[in-house]
Amino acid sequence: MHIRTPITLITGPLGSGKTTLLRHILATKAAKIAIVMNEFGEIAIDTKVIDGKNVRIAELGGGCVCCSLLGEFEAAVKEIIEKIDPDIIVVETTGVAEPEALAFNIQEALPQCRTDGIVSVADADGLVRFPEIGHTTGLQFESADILLLNKIDLVDRHQIEPLETKLREINPTAAIVRTERCQIDPELLFGIGRERKVAPPEYKHQPEFESFTFSSDKTFSHDSFERFADGLPASVHRAKGFVLFPDGAQLFNFVAGRWDLEPFETDRTDLVFIGKEIAAQKPAILRALDACAHPDNK
Amino acid sequence: MAIINDMRKISDTVWELPTNYKDGMRVPARIIATEKLVREMDKAVYQQISNVATLPGITRYALCMPDGHSGYGFPIGGVAAMDVHEGGVISPGGIGFDINCGMRLVITNLTVDDVQPRLKEIVDLLFQRVPAGVGSHGFLKISRDEFREIVEQGARWCVEHDYGSDEDLEVTEENGCISGADAAKISDRAIDRGHNQVGTLGSGNHYLEVQIARPEDVRDKELAAKFGITIPNQIVIMFHCGSRGFGHQVATDYLQVFLKVMESKYGIKVLDRELACAPFESPEGRDYFAAMKCGLNMSFANRQVILHRIREVFSEVFGRSAEDLGMRMIYDVAHNTAKLEKHDIDGKERKLLVHRKGATRAFGPGHEEVAPRYRDIGQPVIIGGSMETGSYLLVGTSSGAETFFSTAHGSGRTMSRTKARKQWHGKQLQRDLEARGIYIRSNSWAGLAEEAGAAYKDIDEVIEATELAGISKPVARFTPIGNVKG
Repeated sequence: MHIRTPITLITGPLGSGKTTLLRHILATKAAKIAIVMNEFGEIAIDTKVIDGKNVRIAELGGGCVCCSLLGEFEAAVKEIIEKIDPDIIVVETTGVAEPEALAFNIQEALPQCRTDGIVSVADADGLVRFPEIGHTTGLQFESADILLLNKIDLVDRHQIEPLETKLREINPTAAIVRTERCQIDPELLFGIGRERKVAPPEYKHQPEFESFTFSSDKTFSHDSFERFADGLPASVHRAKGFVLFPDGAQLFNFVAGRWDLEPFETDRTDLVFIGKEIAAQKPAILRALDACAHPDNK
Repeated sequence: MAIINDMRKISDTVWELPTNYKDGMRVPARIIATEKLVREMDKAVYQQISNVATLPGITRYALCMPDGHSGYGFPIGGVAAMDVHEGGVISPGGIGFDINCGMRLVITNLTVDDVQPRLKEIVDLLFQRVPAGVGSHGFLKISRDEFREIVEQGARWCVEHDYGSDEDLEVTEENGCISGADAAKISDRAIDRGHNQVGTLGSGNHYLEVQIARPEDVRDKELAAKFGITIPNQIVIMFHCGSRGFGHQVATDYLQVFLKVMESKYGIKVLDRELACAPFESPEGRDYFAAMKCGLNMSFANRQVILHRIREVFSEVFGRSAEDLGMRMIYDVAHNTAKLEKHDIDGKERKLLVHRKGATRAFGPGHEEVAPRYRDIGQPVIIGGSMETGSYLLVGTSSGAETFFSTAHGSGRTMSRTKARKQWHGKQLQRDLEARGIYIRSNSWAGLAEEAGAAYKDIDEVIEATELAGISKPVARFTPIGNVKG
């Protein structure tokens, strides 16, 4: 079964830290990543540049590539998949893009891909200095699954919470993560995709984040699992992994209350849960998962 | 709606947010529109226009035209005149990313009966010769060095290279070449993005249309005749495009420069970072002004090459020369600009930097900057509606001083692109339009859905508001029959 290539969109106003985040992802994420610059991006490119029809491709370290868009976005993504077949595509959108429109494009025009998530970088210092959130910036924050409240080291400690409240008003569902220089555990940003080919990633803790895993070789009931996913507590920001159902396995992807399932090839259930102080909820979540096992099961 | 209660009604078409509406407002903010249009505007417009009123050097009012809607920092439809001798600023957000996005209108001596039978052939060929879409490349092979010449010389470069005539330049704003453009002030990245885009439409709301002037839609016969619109159901061609990735890069480059110096060097505090600016009389401000003019010229050149392609296509299809087909350009107007202009403020002439973002300059009869051919009737104004509804030719009026001689530029969105995409399906829309006699070619169905007529304000209402407000006067309305969508 073909797995659709996940696309992650990175948005945020000029100077908020999008490029820093990209550099950080490349340095810390063990995967073959293709970065698509919707504009001519800022990542230093000192390697061989290949001019494709729709993209200009530059090889980066670790098998990753950086592509500048020359043609239509859709054509460029197709070309990248054909030529490079990355595990993950990360798109850096412009400071002025409406990210939801792009996500909609992916859904409509790129059946070989799925939007994995929209990550928006907010700059705490900028939010303090410029009291109003601009129109375009507002659209970017609104559509995010994960909002990085970046540059918190540049503002007073007591200013951070009001900023979170402000972001929460614009986007009540996104996971808001405080960062300095975009230092975020990349596991919080991405779905699992093809990572199962490599060893399960070692989870490094984001300061206030905790995680736990669940594994099983039982099959699960669809209905029970969906109810379980709907009922996950708000403290769970992120959950992902594979779930074995009677009719085959599915890739489960949960971000801040929103989730989806799609076909995936595996023979086990493996899930990871990430959230703020969720150790307390761990027993209840594991119990609830056990209860999802299909009745016909051993 | 609560918001309209905060506004003072000055007249049927002038609505004011007084300076006590928000801390820091230096002048009142005014929306020029009918009550209905004001009520339909998204709330962010009030925020944005009052933010603009806080900028240093702003003179008289921060203005929003009847087709206004929220944009990057300034509303689209925003007009702001800054006194450059009083610390007035220049702001990329007040000009827009697509520098000199504008309209061009061409007449023919053909009628709908001549064109209808060959419409598909014409539109298909236009679609082929005028590349559209996000990253489209032009057929013109231009080196980076030649491109530097183009951004300094504008449409004049094109005419010198046989893409048009001096007559075209005479009816282009600034004669197709604004002076003071300096290629040394633009980044290599901007050159990279722009050099292969001359002669391309681009994406978004950019388009090229074949339109009819129906006799019942000619509002002022005498004026229309002066423009050569004399034949019933005469065919005209209108197109809308700008400076493509080049202008976008110039704006992005200087927004970043301004964000760095605005507060630390010049002590300017703005409410929204999208309003990043610098004093006009500062090295950074001057540099951006010279770079922005390169964007203006790139766009004039782009439209000049497209005009040349249109003439080629029509003469190929009809086997007659463009002159023989009467393919004369009526005018070329810029939407997204900042220009130094002299305006009379309370009896005193002042030098103002007039930002027009999604607004058209509309000088009245007699103004020295109106092309000599039109000086007695006023500057032509070309306003494009959505692809489904229709477009207008108007002229500027002497009574437009209140808006620094500015008027609307289009019908203005009523919903975001995202929302429009969710609501309509591009392919279906194309079939519906074809059933209504409008043949469309597009690279992007999703993009087509963004431009659905119902995603825009009613063009007729917008035009009526500009007429009531005395800022422009309609000459003729045109109905589309063929469209190449960018």
